[in-house]
Order: sequence, then C-alpha cells, then structure tokens
Amino acid sequence: MKNPAKSAPDGAPEDVNRRKLLSWLSGFGLFGSAVIAALANLIFIKPRVTYGAPNRFSIGKPEDFPPGARIALDTRRVCIVRDGDSLAAISTTCTHLGCIVAVSETGFACPCHGSHYDQDGNVTGGPAPRALSWYQLTLAPNGELVVDKDNEIEAGKYLKV
Amino acid sequence: MSTRLSLAIASLVVLVVHGIVFYDQFLNRWEKHQTAYLEQARSLAKTDAERQSIDAAKPRIEQIIVTQFGESRVDRCTTCHIASDDPRFQAYSQPLHTHSYSASLGDIEKNGRWERRHKFSDFGCTICHDGQGRGLDTFYAHGEDENWPQPLLGFATQANWKPAYKAKLTGAEYMQSNCAQCHTEDSFAGTPLVTRGRQLFFEKGCYGCHRIQGLSHGTLGPDLTEVGKRWRIDYLWGHTVNPRDYSAVSFMPKFDLNDDEIKALVVFLKSRKGMNFAETTMDQYRAKLQQTSLPAGVGANADNTPSAARGEQLIAQRSCTACHRLGDKDGHISPDLSYEGLIRDDNWLMAHFKEPRSRIPDSIMPVFGFSEGDYRSITDSLLSRKTPPNFKTGEETYKGLCARCHGEKGDGKGVTYLYLDPAPRDLTKAAFMTTKPEERFLTSLKEGVPGTSMPPWERVLTDQQRKDVLDYVFKTFVKESRRELKERKVPETNPVAFTPESVNAGEQIFLQRCTGCHGRKSDGKGPNSLDISPRPRNLRNSAFINHTTDKRLFTSITYGVEGTAMPSWMDYGLTQTDIGNLINFIRSLNPKPAAAPAEGKSPKLTSRLTVRR
Repeated sequence: MKNPAKSAPDGAPEDVNRRKLLSWLSGFGLFGSAVIAALANLIFIKPRVTYGAPNRFSIGKPEDFPPGARIALDTRRVCIVRDGDSLAAISTTCTHLGCIVAVSETGFACPCHGSHYDQDGNVTGGPAPRALSWYQLTLAPNGELVVDKDNEIEAGKYLKV
Repeated sequence: MSTRLSLAIASLVVLVVHGIVFYDQFLNRWEKHQTAYLEQARSLAKTDAERQSIDAAKPRIEQIIVTQFGESRVDRCTTCHIASDDPRFQAYSQPLHTHSYSASLGDIEKNGRWERRHKFSDFGCTICHDGQGRGLDTFYAHGEDENWPQPLLGFATQANWKPAYKAKLTGAEYMQSNCAQCHTEDSFAGTPLVTRGRQLFFEKGCYGCHRIQGLSHGTLGPDLTEVGKRWRIDYLWGHTVNPRDYSAVSFMPKFDLNDDEIKALVVFLKSRKGMNFAETTMDQYRAKLQQTSLPAGVGANADNTPSAARGEQLIAQRSCTACHRLGDKDGHISPDLSYEGLIRDDNWLMAHFKEPRSRIPDSIMPVFGFSEGDYRSITDSLLSRKTPPNFKTGEETYKGLCARCHGEKGDGKGVTYLYLDPAPRDLTKAAFMTTKPEERFLTSLKEGVPGTSMPPWERVLTDQQRKDVLDYVFKTFVKESRRELKERKVPETNPVAFTPESVNAGEQIFLQRCTGCHGRKSDGKGPNSLDISPRPRNLRNSAFINHTTDKRLFTSITYGVEGTAMPSWMDYGLTQTDIGNLINFIRSLNPKPAAAPAEGKSPKLTSRLTVRR
C-alpha cells in the first residue's frame, strides 16, 4: 500500500478514485444483501403449500359422467356438468354465505337463504351477489379429469372430450 | 483506507452468502424436474388446449393427502416424480418416469390403456414405498438409499449396513411387507413371502419365545408385535442370521436357515407394525380378547401317525437343535439330548413337553403347543436314543458329558450355564466339594438332581464310569482331599409336627432371617442373591425340595453350607424347634403331588407369604 503522505501531490485523483470504487462496492454489497433479504422475507410470507384439502384433484374418467349428468361432489364442493361431449366444473359454494348449494331442476338452489342459480350458475333469485364460479377442468395424461379450484375460468367454457 | 477495503470485502462476502442462502432455499431441484417435465409434456402435447394449459402451469409443490388409511399421510413425492401417473413417460429415467403398471398390483389393461387399481390420488406413495412423504429433497425423502426404489422400506441410509447382507436386501419382493398392511389375510396371493414367513415363524418355533399380538404368546424373547415399525430390514436380516452380531447379550439361538427362508422371515417381520391400516382400534381390541390358538399348519401333517421316524423329521424341521445338542448338532443353550432314551422315560418326556416347568421349575424351555401326535413322535424318537457312549476314562466321560454344563475348567461355566437355573455346580469350589459325603455326589450322578438340569446318568454310565468321573473331578478340579467333619447332631426327620402353628412360626422366622437372599417369595431371588455364587436355592422348586430329606435341610440350616453363602444359623441363635418350624414352612410351600387330595387335612397354604405372591 502506498504511503498517502508521500504520494499526496500527484496521487490525489487516484486515491479518490480508489476510495469511490471501494464505497461503490460496499454499497453494492450491502444494498444487494438488503434486496435479497427483503425478497426472501416476502417469499416467506406466503406458504408454498398447506395441509388443507387440495385445490387440485382428480375426479375420475370422463366415462364416469354420462352425457346430461349434473353430478355434485359435495366433499369437493364442485358440480360436474356434462352436456354431450362438453364437460365443466361449477362451484357449489353459494356466493352469499358459503353454504353448499344443491342441484335443482332449474339449476342450483341454496338451502340456507333461498338463493337460486340457473344451469350455468347465474343468479336468478335470492340474496346471492354473484354467479357461481367455473373451475378449470383438464384431462390429465392418465385419462382422468382434473379440477383446479385455484383456476377460475369464464362461465360457459367447456372441456371437449 | 484499509477500513474501506475491508468494508467492501465484508459487504461482498455478505452478499455472496445471502445469494447462496437464497439459491439454496428458493431454487429447488424439484422445480428443475417440473420444468423439465413441462417442457417434455409440451413437446408431446397433441392439441392446442393442452399446450395452453401446460404453458399456464408453473412449478409447484404437489401433494397427496391420504386420510383413509390409518393416520393421515402427506405425500409430496409427486412433486419430483411428477410423471409417475403419465403413461407417456415410460421410457424416461427417474424422476420423470411413469410408475410401472402391473397386473399383480391389480392394474387392468383396457384397450391398450392401463388403469390403476391403487390410484395414487387415493393411496399416496409412502403407503407402499415408505420413506418420508413430506421430504422435498432426495435425502429427506429417501435417505441415501442405494436401492431406491426397490425396496425403499423406511427412510433407509445404507452406509452402515453390513456388507455381508447388503446385497441381499434389494428387490421389489420386500415391499410385500407393506402390502400386508392392508391385505392381512393369512394367505393373500400378492404376498407369498409374508405367508411363508408366517409359516416359518411357527415351523421354526419362533412363537415359543416371541409374542406377536393375535399370533403367539411367547415371553422369553422380545415382543415382535411392532417389530416392523422399529427396525429396518438390515437389522432384521442380521439379527435373524446371527443375533449376537447386534446384541452381545442376546441368547436367541442361531437357526439353520437358508437365504430364502431368512428373506421370508424378514418380510414377515417387517410387516408386523402393530396396527394394520385395514383395522380399527375396535378390531384390534377384539383380536386382543380372542384366544390365540396355533394355526392349523402347526402340527398338522398328512402323515399323522406318530412314529420315531416322523419325530426325527420334526426335530430337524422345528429346529430343536437350535438350542439343544443332538449328535453332532449343538445349539449351546439347552441340555444334550443324545442319550435321552437312557436318561428319561416316556412319562417324563411327555409331561415335560406339555409343561417343561412341571419337571424343572425354572426351565426356560417354551411351551410349544404341538399336537399330541407330534409330541408322541418326538418322544418316541428321543427314546430311541439308547446307545450309551463308550468312554474309557473319567476324563473322557467328563469332557463328553459334563463339560458342556460344568465347563472345561470345572468352574460351572460351560457353554450352557447361563441358561440353566439352578446353575451347574462349580466343581472347583473345594470348600463345598470336600465337605459333602462322597455318597451324595455318587447319588447325584446316578439319580440326577430332581428339579434341576442334572440328569440321572444311571443307565448311561456304569458304576465304574461314574466313580471314575468323580475321581477325575476331585483330582483335576477340587485338588484337595475330603475333610472329615465333626460329628453333627441332626435329627433324621423333622421332630416338629407339621401344624399350621408351626408353619406360621416358620414363616415369621423366614421373613426375618431368610428373605434377604431367598427372597420374599422364597424363590431364591432376594435382593442379595445377585452377588452370591452359587445363587440361593429356589425354595419353591418342589421337585427339588420334595426330594430333599429333612436331615439334609436340617444340616444345611443348622450348620450352613460350606462353599456357599448359607451361614450356620445355629450361630445366629436358631434353635432346633425354630429350624423345624422353618422346614415345615418350606414344605408347606411345596405340597407333594400325592398328598394333594388330602390337602384338607394338612395345613392350608393360606400363610401370608403365599397370598402375597
């Protein structure tokens, strides 16, 4: 290391540069660590997985649901609707206060406060504020239908089998 | 200047460490596997919709929560093994490999498509494969298992496995032990090894010592009801092959088993996990209440006519020589049966088989519960061994017959001594050996000592041979000549009448003076007994006590027994009446079988001691 007193006259700019570089490096290191730490903390806030009932599940083969069927799976809170070759999964959780709605002739009917929905889950009466959600239904490679309750899709979008 | 430099370096180091931690925590291996899977799946996709849904998919932790079978399980195996149920990935390597389809698992092939009998979404993975379902890292999920995925039983790490067995502990057939968690039928077609292992458990006599709830009642060895939960297959294998490799104090015999038999036993044992997934606590309780009887397989045989030849067969099949010595086979635990036909008679053997403790009260031989015919056959076979040995000198006789229990050095520590109770006499203890009359030794040799493992040699050895062996013992081990004792004043029979008062008085003295060594139960297991050699007599050994004369009891109590811890109670102030009372008390503990019907007249066994057992 150079003696600062000796190189003072002509070494001043070099010394300043070096000082700048070092502070810039320290700043980069500390700021970078802070950013990574903040990011890590943010990621940690949301659990990656929980022990609740899974939101994505297999419900069996398309053959299990004959054309025209409207089969409600109460434990999964979803109703599988089949119309010809088209399949869809409609939520059976009432948008009012979360009761399980029953399949009725005209569509769905909530036993708690009398909300009514039509065949596609649109509100036709009662206190329900919104239509029932449609969930994404896919055909897994092993030939089984998979409902993904994390993935809501627009009403009327069917899966063709 | 240098402060700035070190600050810069330090902050960069902190940054790097942070980066590494971040990388380690948030960029997981499983994400790579899933990305690879999605990439492949996209190239295999046939429709646009499929492609779209793949594009929308992001790596995430997949988990199956199984609540139907026993405790609920959380299996995240499909996070890495994401293609396990995707039939297009059969040619790929792990972890992106399709789980094989197999008709033996109940999978059905329909129009070229397989359908699983055990759907992963219902059963999970660890129910068959074990391992830790929650682990998202190879180590946490599998251990460091070289044989993954067959069998992967338990969270296995094979680094410490004994090389001798390691290679034998691989193969899908070990997983049958997990099939048996639900398929508990006795002969389920899918679990032939469990069935075979269960058979062997009875054939080889394991049940005699070990208890398995609902199967057997043995008490000598550890309870194996939950053995599969506690131990891995390497331990089970090694312990079955040679118990002493794992536990130096184990006295489980080495059985003569081939590798296939051991494998069946290991699979059977691994399947013992206490409770099966298929049963509820109520089922278990019912099984507990149920009286266990031996399965029909034990004892049943096409040829049921008892014969010595069949007995011979049974002795080989049922591993008698795992403990006993017979000819050139020796289990080093229990007595030599080579001359049994000359030593015991038919009644003795049959009664001893049904309840060994009826003849030798502290015997460890289990009650095997074979059929009457089997006992008959084995008895016949043993009784046919009537060729006396041809020993010329006392030394030969000693080495051939006595050393197995009394030891090569005559110190009472032969190979079997640990398992015999009372222990074999230490023949080097001169104080004992030189003070007993020669007549007593000759009688013991001739008639044996009832209630102990010392057999009567009367018909095995001639008078001369017995005398020779006694001479050999004195010359080689005792090394001192007989001492002449002073005249002792001992009555021939107990002068005190056998009355309830006398028995009670005897009990009082016993409780005050004798329990320290002979124990409150008078079973010879008092608190001091552990430090004493030879151990105090079990005074409830009826066979022994009833065979012992009043005179000998009187002598032992009054003058003590030289060479043992029994003191001379005359010196401690016991009078002849006291000793008479004591002897009456001891006799009251051991009713003579012949006197049993007349028990009403004799003092009842209602002394406090008896009640307090």
